[in-house]
Amino acid sequence: GSKHATTPADNYYLARRRTLQVVVSSLLTEAGFESAEKAAVETLTEMLQSYISEIGRSAKSYCEHTARTQPTLSDIVVTLVEMGFNVETLPAYAKRSQRMVITAPPVTNQPVTPKALTAGQNKPHPSHIPGHFPEFPDPHTYIKTPTYREPVSDYQVLRERAASQRRDVERALTRFMAKTGETQSLFKDDVSTFPLIAARPFTVPYLTALLPSELEMQQMEETDSSEQDDQTDTENLPLHMSTDDSGPEKENASVLQQNTSLSGSRNGEENVIDNPYLRPVKKPKIRRKK
Amino acid sequence: MNRKKGDKGFESPRPYKFTTHQVVCINNINFQRKSVVGYVELTIFPTVANLNRIKLNSKQCRIYRVRVNDLEAAFIYNDPTLEVCHHESKQRNLNYFSNAYAAAVSAVDPDAGNGELCIKVPSELWKHVDELKVLKVHINFSLDQPKGGLHFVVPNMEGSMAERGAHVFSCGYQNSTRFWFPCVDSYSELCTWKLEYTVDAAMVAVSNGDLVETVYTHDMRKKTFHYMLTIPTAASNISLAIGPFEILVDPYMHEVTHFCLPQLLPLLKHTTSYLHEVFEFYEEILTCRYPYSCFKTVFIDEAYVEVAAYASMSIFSTNLLHSAMIIDETPLTRRCLAQALAQQFFGCFISRMSWSDEWVLKGISGYIYGLWMKKTFGVNEYRHWIKQELDQIVAYELKTGGVLLHPIFGGGKEKDNPASHLHFSIKHPHTLSWEYYTMFQCKAHLVMRLIENRISMEFMLQVFNKLLSLASTASSQKFQSHMWSQMLVSTSGFLKSISNVSGKDIQPLIKQWVDQSGVVKFYGSFAFNRKRNVLELEIKQDYTSPGTQKYVGPLKVTVQELDGSFNHTLQIEENSLKHDIPCHSKSRRNKKKKIPLMNGEEVDMDLSAMDADSPLLWIRIDPDMSVLRKVEFEQSDFMWQYQLRYERDVVAQEEAILALEKFPTPASRLALTDILEQEQCFYRVRMLACFCLAKIANSMVSTWTGPPAMKSLFTRMFCCKTCPNIVKTNNFMNFQSYFLQKTMPVAMALLRDVHNLCPKEVLMFILDLIKYNDNRKNKFSDNYYRAELIDALANSVTPAVSVNNEVRTLDNLNPDVRLILEEITRFLNMEKLLPSYRHTITVSCLKAIRVLQKNGHVPSDPALFKSYAEYGHFVDVRIAALEAVVDYTK
Repeated sequence: GSKHATTPADNYYLARRRTLQVVVSSLLTEAGFESAEKAAVETLTEMLQSYISEIGRSAKSYCEHTARTQPTLSDIVVTLVEMGFNVETLPAYAKRSQRMVITAPPVTNQPVTPKALTAGQNKPHPSHIPGHFPEFPDPHTYIKTPTYREPVSDYQVLRERAASQRRDVERALTRFMAKTGETQSLFKDDVSTFPLIAARPFTVPYLTALLPSELEMQQMEETDSSEQDDQTDTENLPLHMSTDDSGPEKENASVLQQNTSLSGSRNGEENVIDNPYLRPVKKPKIRRKK
Repeated sequence: MNRKKGDKGFESPRPYKFTTHQVVCINNINFQRKSVVGYVELTIFPTVANLNRIKLNSKQCRIYRVRVNDLEAAFIYNDPTLEVCHHESKQRNLNYFSNAYAAAVSAVDPDAGNGELCIKVPSELWKHVDELKVLKVHINFSLDQPKGGLHFVVPNMEGSMAERGAHVFSCGYQNSTRFWFPCVDSYSELCTWKLEYTVDAAMVAVSNGDLVETVYTHDMRKKTFHYMLTIPTAASNISLAIGPFEILVDPYMHEVTHFCLPQLLPLLKHTTSYLHEVFEFYEEILTCRYPYSCFKTVFIDEAYVEVAAYASMSIFSTNLLHSAMIIDETPLTRRCLAQALAQQFFGCFISRMSWSDEWVLKGISGYIYGLWMKKTFGVNEYRHWIKQELDQIVAYELKTGGVLLHPIFGGGKEKDNPASHLHFSIKHPHTLSWEYYTMFQCKAHLVMRLIENRISMEFMLQVFNKLLSLASTASSQKFQSHMWSQMLVSTSGFLKSISNVSGKDIQPLIKQWVDQSGVVKFYGSFAFNRKRNVLELEIKQDYTSPGTQKYVGPLKVTVQELDGSFNHTLQIEENSLKHDIPCHSKSRRNKKKKIPLMNGEEVDMDLSAMDADSPLLWIRIDPDMSVLRKVEFEQSDFMWQYQLRYERDVVAQEEAILALEKFPTPASRLALTDILEQEQCFYRVRMLACFCLAKIANSMVSTWTGPPAMKSLFTRMFCCKTCPNIVKTNNFMNFQSYFLQKTMPVAMALLRDVHNLCPKEVLMFILDLIKYNDNRKNKFSDNYYRAELIDALANSVTPAVSVNNEVRTLDNLNPDVRLILEEITRFLNMEKLLPSYRHTITVSCLKAIRVLQKNGHVPSDPALFKSYAEYGHFVDVRIAALEAVVDYTK
């Protein structure tokens, strides 16, 4: 291992690991082994280390769960219980006669994490923040230095970009639609170069042909907001169609209301329009010839 | 026919008349089965004793039961038009069919007192009849899957009929009301009406006259619409539309109601928002109120014709509806509305005495519609339209041999047929060809205009007013059916009215254009006699070719000289071909002087192009189009160029443009380019100039200098100042520029280089227009513009160079065609996701694909078109696809 230049942190971890190995070896001796292969010892060390790490990790979780930062004994106990360890047996095991005592590992100092390059002075707390709060982070983490690139203002480039972007989107979209649906082709031998989305008849062809598309509607709203009222009217329209079960009378009333409001919006003052189609439908006479 | 001139007016061909009214009651309409059940009740007033048979019209109806005054009556139903040739197997030709068909139609002609349904008056009532007492005929009938007259539209989807937007409406050509209920299906048999329709509660029934009330049936599931029409009306003017219509009361005129199919209300609002102006216009010029107490417009799908006018209502195609974003459809739809309204006065309110008087009604309604056009779209548009109509009728008559407005029939013998040159009889509206009838209407309004030229517009309008006021007086009279004949117009009555009002004799004019068919064909040429300072004009006529007639009478010639414009009236006589017209100006001119034009304007002209010896700038024959004629006039190219540049009449400008096609010279090019750039110039003239310029450029291809024709012009007008290859973002606020912007690429694509190919530069230019087209900031839709760009791509296609008739595959695809196909594919696919208004882009794409096929770039395969021709596609798309399919047979 001398080939590698070792850092203090590596040394620290190696020392701990060596102590664990000693522990494993002594436990093996205690169990009556006279010798062990290196690989077996390594494996057991690894297992022990994992087990202890897990206790630590789990204990930390429990303690944080109860909003503390330092684990207590009960955290450890809960952890061990959780891991399936019978805590009751622990004191007896600790006091067993044949236990071996290992010397504590030499105290090596916890390596200090090298300080990040400080850039500038940390900002002091403002007066309203108590002193025990953490310090501000290094300025470089929050100070921004805006950079400027020449914005694209060249009209030609903008148009070019808008045009090709739209074209790309359209092409990708139509290709996708063509790939996922039925297609027609102008060439018998090739169906993929110029795929045409198959013509599909509509049940009500005039609707798609006459009504502006949503995109156009949007545009219309943008260019002329006075049209908006008209559009909200239409949203209510299917109403009088879909109230079959509510009885004809009610339904008719809704038609009526709607129409008076329609025409009323244009000439606000004359709210009484006498048009025969707006009059309520009469109830049948009791005696009517068929 | 016993038509008598004089005050007695009309005499019915029937031995009975209708009195107060006829009842039509349709109490069941089944959309699923497309059937109708109902009854009619006719009140009949015998005019002769011993009336024992009553003949009525009825087609395709199943008659269940006939009762006369509550007594069962026997009846015979026979429709001879169902089997025209009677198993005739030897003579399978059109001529035989045509004669047999005319005979069959005659046999049931209501104007001859005939009918398909013959009812025997029960013997118990003979005595009653002898006392000339009233008879009531009650007929129960039903109608299953009608093939005509009533059209059902039932979309194939889930939901109730109302949710599906199912609807039904009456339709047909001329008098075809007999298709949906028994009646006397004649325009001359007037009566008042009571109409009742029981329909599903979610539906609306729209019919003629006033809606008196709407009543639920006892189960509350249906309602009955009761209509009363108190103005005497012919059965042929009765109509019906039933559907789940959305209702819009006209905000300007509350007695006017508009109906459209579900979801289209916003479009209906926009489309009809203009109608009140048309009303105002007609009422003002006719100085007469709209005759009915209400008016209804119904917009329906699968319309038989775009516009159908009936008493107090009009049925329109739903495809006329449009939003405020659509430019191109707006004037077209407004024209349809105006046409429909004109026919309300003349055609519905005033009906005709007989088929041979049809021209008066069509003429008057067409004429007042023309006046509306003049007021709405301006004199230029009006004159352009008149010229267009004139060209159309002239071309049709020369091709087929004449349109006769007022045929007079002898005893029904075939040799008396006044139109033996035609393949069909013109004796009945139903035996005519559709095209002939369209041309007939066109000629009728042009002749009305000729009458106006003769007696002045003021007198003309007085005549109309007189007809209307007589009719409205008559219409308010009850039970006096002979008074009602004032509501029928006849040729003789109309002419009498003209002579009373104007005091002028227009008989020669009528004889020339109404009583005989044919148009005039003039050939003109001239020479200038310098010594006498006289213009020697030679005007020849061709009156031997089919469709022509000899013209004798005055003819106006306008000569633009250096000193001004002068009108001369020549007398065209039998044997005089040459006419000497003295000139006012001396040939050598004062160079600095301005030249006065016809309209009083004085302009500077560059006179270097003209002949130094002659003071003539240009000559026009019959500039006011006061003869139905075709003029072929010869004058030098520079004269046409002057005419194009300086004559202010758009018709003259258009004539000059067409003439210049034959003179591909730099001077013509310059004249056309100048006109193209002139913003004061009428946009249609500028559009026409584009195509002429393309033709000239092609003729001059070897000597053409500079960029392709129109390219720099287009760049200057529509492209960015800083980057001339990029078109400005769309802004169609200026409609004239818009139309020009649409047309120029289409014309440019017709340019060809020395190899007869479209120049690469032009193709790339059009592709760039497509690429940089940006409509985001535009108030208007660009669907028509994009469609025309595709048309332009199609125009650029030239025949493929084929080696050994190889099969067309992708590998040997021409690279230019590949670019075009790329665009077409994208456009056609985008249409599926974001369809354009009336699918204009799909239509253009289909046409372009057919062009590519025809030119051998793409394998000729009709499969694509067949799929687009199927029912369920928008009608414009289907027509385009069908046209492409038909094209395979050519």
